[in-house]
Amino acid sequence: MGFLFAENGINAVFEKWAEEYHVYAPKRMEGKGAFSDTDSVRYEEINKVEEIEFDLKSHFSFKDILLPMSETLFFFTEEQVKEADGPKKGAVILLRSCDLHAVRRLDEIYLKNGFEDYYYKRLRENVRFVLLGCKQAFENCFCVDMETNRADFYDASIEKDGDGYAVDNHYSDWEPLFLANSMEKKEVSPSYVTETEVRVEVPEGLSLDVSKSRMWDEYDKRCIDCGRCNYVCPTCTCFTMQDIFYTDNGKVGERRRVTASCMVNGYTDVAGGGSYRQKNGQRMRFKTLHKVYDFKKRFGYHMCVGCGRCDDACPEYISFSNIINKLKDAVAEVNDHDEK
Amino acid sequence: MMKNEYVPFLSEIKEVIKHTDIEYTFRMTYDGEVKPGQFFEVSIPKYGEAPISVSGVGGGLVDLTIRRVGKVTNEIFERYAGDRMFLRGPYGNGFDVNLYKGRELVVIAGGTGLSPVRGVVDYFSEHPGDVKGMTLIAGFKTPKDILFHKDFERWEKNMDVILTVDCADDDEQCHIGLVTEYIPKLRLDDVSNAAAIVVGPPVMMHFSTQGLLNAGFREENIWISHERKMCCGIGKCGHCKIDDTYVCLDGPVFNFTKGRKLID
Amino acid sequence: MDMNTKLLKKNAFRVTKERGITASRVRVPGGHLEAKYLSMIQNIADTYGNGTIHITSRQGFEIPGIKFEDMPRVNELLQPVIEGLNINQELPGGGYPAAGTRNITACIGNRVCPYACYDTTAFAQRIEKAVFPNDLHFKIALTGCPNDCAKVRMHDFGIMGMTEPQYDKDRCVNCEACVKACKKKSVNVLKTVNYKVERNEAKCIGCGECVLACPTGAWTRGSEKLYRLTLFGRTGKKNPRMGEDFIKWVDEESIIKIILNTYDYVNNYIDPEAPGGKEHIGYIVDRTGFEEFRKWALKDVKLPDMAEVYTPVYWKGIKY
Repeated sequence: MGFLFAENGINAVFEKWAEEYHVYAPKRMEGKGAFSDTDSVRYEEINKVEEIEFDLKSHFSFKDILLPMSETLFFFTEEQVKEADGPKKGAVILLRSCDLHAVRRLDEIYLKNGFEDYYYKRLRENVRFVLLGCKQAFENCFCVDMETNRADFYDASIEKDGDGYAVDNHYSDWEPLFLANSMEKKEVSPSYVTETEVRVEVPEGLSLDVSKSRMWDEYDKRCIDCGRCNYVCPTCTCFTMQDIFYTDNGKVGERRRVTASCMVNGYTDVAGGGSYRQKNGQRMRFKTLHKVYDFKKRFGYHMCVGCGRCDDACPEYISFSNIINKLKDAVAEVNDHDEK
Repeated sequence: MMKNEYVPFLSEIKEVIKHTDIEYTFRMTYDGEVKPGQFFEVSIPKYGEAPISVSGVGGGLVDLTIRRVGKVTNEIFERYAGDRMFLRGPYGNGFDVNLYKGRELVVIAGGTGLSPVRGVVDYFSEHPGDVKGMTLIAGFKTPKDILFHKDFERWEKNMDVILTVDCADDDEQCHIGLVTEYIPKLRLDDVSNAAAIVVGPPVMMHFSTQGLLNAGFREENIWISHERKMCCGIGKCGHCKIDDTYVCLDGPVFNFTKGRKLID
Repeated sequence: MDMNTKLLKKNAFRVTKERGITASRVRVPGGHLEAKYLSMIQNIADTYGNGTIHITSRQGFEIPGIKFEDMPRVNELLQPVIEGLNINQELPGGGYPAAGTRNITACIGNRVCPYACYDTTAFAQRIEKAVFPNDLHFKIALTGCPNDCAKVRMHDFGIMGMTEPQYDKDRCVNCEACVKACKKKSVNVLKTVNYKVERNEAKCIGCGECVLACPTGAWTRGSEKLYRLTLFGRTGKKNPRMGEDFIKWVDEESIIKIILNTYDYVNNYIDPEAPGGKEHIGYIVDRTGFEEFRKWALKDVKLPDMAEVYTPVYWKGIKY
């Protein structure tokens, strides 16, 4: 069922939601960009619809809520372990179609691949997703080619409609709340993008053999292994474990996990000094193939959702979509070489 | 309530067996099913966790042979019999001894690579009739690095054991040379059906598997075990992923038909 | 030929080596201007000058080869430039006023440069409005960050942008990019403790390298624009020297007030016999002692809580 809300009506919904949920949405953080007098758009808790940044792509994704960059798993003494508490409230997350598709990727790893992840599931079970309609594609988006431009598996959708807000609802529990606060019922179908300026083509015949292509060598020097592409990615799921002890009481501490990047030094280090993929080009290959090849081999669909945040974030202007498009020639190059 | 796989349980150290200055086996209490080649995440709060493979199983105990190479293992070496450590696991697939029954089996191990296969060797040492013939080629850097001294005496009774070191003084009893030198010298009745297990450092595994293929072993009859960085052991943290394979879930033991294709 | 050279100089023209020929000096506060003014300056050079333009060391243009008699017409043509650059002018149409206090220069600042901690041109223009026109010999320069590309330490007042880094430990993943950047590119005041970063606040120079290096947004810039103010660097014949730190973490209001206070101080203490009525402030401070200067400079100044005033301040430099 669809609804049309005035600003105060939708804010009444947000107010009601706040009793049960933390509401997270892309928000413009003034002055929080890396450069002075620039802003950062991040996922933050919001109270009012005016706080939502509808017109820009967020620099970091919703992932920061489901998989916090730094998350305490448990506290310990030398012989006891106490699990860290989860949030008391659930969460409503407002996100675009590409990101909603990314949730499926996170679920794949954290709920399925091997054991269920206790901490992820604890959060995930109490999350409601509200789709932000996309009226047009942003720079570097390539969701259409990754087939993530549309999503109907949302609890509700929201987008600006004239001076008001159009909402489509799939979650029956919210129906009375929406009825009570909306101006009118209305057929609503969320906007979605049908074309993007950036196009990608994942070639047929990809295999690990493409590792041998010379295309990766370029990134040995161009890439500065900062990890931004991973940290902003809504589908990257890696973490590293850390044990810390409190400086004021050395017997007590905590174990936490922090987001990890396969582009950053140390990612593959094993105790005793071994490491794999020392060249940045090979790290790029590893990441690229995970996003558009081996994840699909294991789970049946591509990991990359085409949000283009990695392109947006790269300080060295390395375009991931361009890398995908180079794969075709790389496959041919490797095949040629093998034939000779 | 859902199980929190990250929360470890306490296990008591029953015995510490010192092989070398930096390699001890910790015999720990553990009730539950566990296979050789699987691994536990061993943790010392404040210092962290480390994936350690199971080097022996039985009687409510698991053997964890640990090489002192980092922050966590340094700390583990400060522990004695009677102390307790946190464990979680076992994780990974481990070796399935059934795959080797009724065949000739060659186990090639380099250094601490002997730990994950020790259980397999032990099994066939105790059940010599289950294989048609068994050879263990174990290589270490120097005589000082040799692990499981006592086991070798026992194993020698039931199988061919080649214990070799890369370099040594003349008066040592063992062979000198790399494990790969002994592969062409293997005397097997039916090499096309013989099974081999190779575990050790990456370079050693590379040349040993090549040697086996050259000697006539079939790819599908070779098994290897990989070691990678792991932070979770349960398919989440991503560090051990190679291609579409999670070493912690799908391995660490791989048939060589798959293992050879894994490019980091 | 009769010409009052004092008035000519006060009108931003120069007495040149060629008799009867002057050069017009066009100041660009903060060194940034709309491109359209270039064609106006070109027009003056082509019409009244010798067709060349010198780009000055203080971010101005000097148009040489102008005849004395053409100065009023040059001033007329300069009027839209003067208005466009928002120069304080006493007599509309009368050209640039005063030439004692020098053009306030600035590096390119955060309109372009990623390192800059603020809009250097905008702050330069703000100071321009506060201090011009003035006959006293003051040199003021602004630079966006402690790299000091504008060489502000060679000025009486050096204004260096700083940012107070804000750390969100919950976004830190211990990649150590900041620690490495601070060590290699700055003053090595970050260290990893328990997988998180600790900053030595006393030694931090606020360059923002940590913010620029941070891939997760754990480091961000402080909301306040703060500066390092350096004093009395100078070139010249007797005792060239680098400016020394006066205040760290000072705000814009305070800087402007301190500069204005210094004009009062100089007016009070300047050598009445100073050639051309100009004396480098540093020599005056050498005479009165730093404490006297400080008393004047900080009069009615409300510094931010975190400001650190360096006292006493000593200068070295080369003495001839």
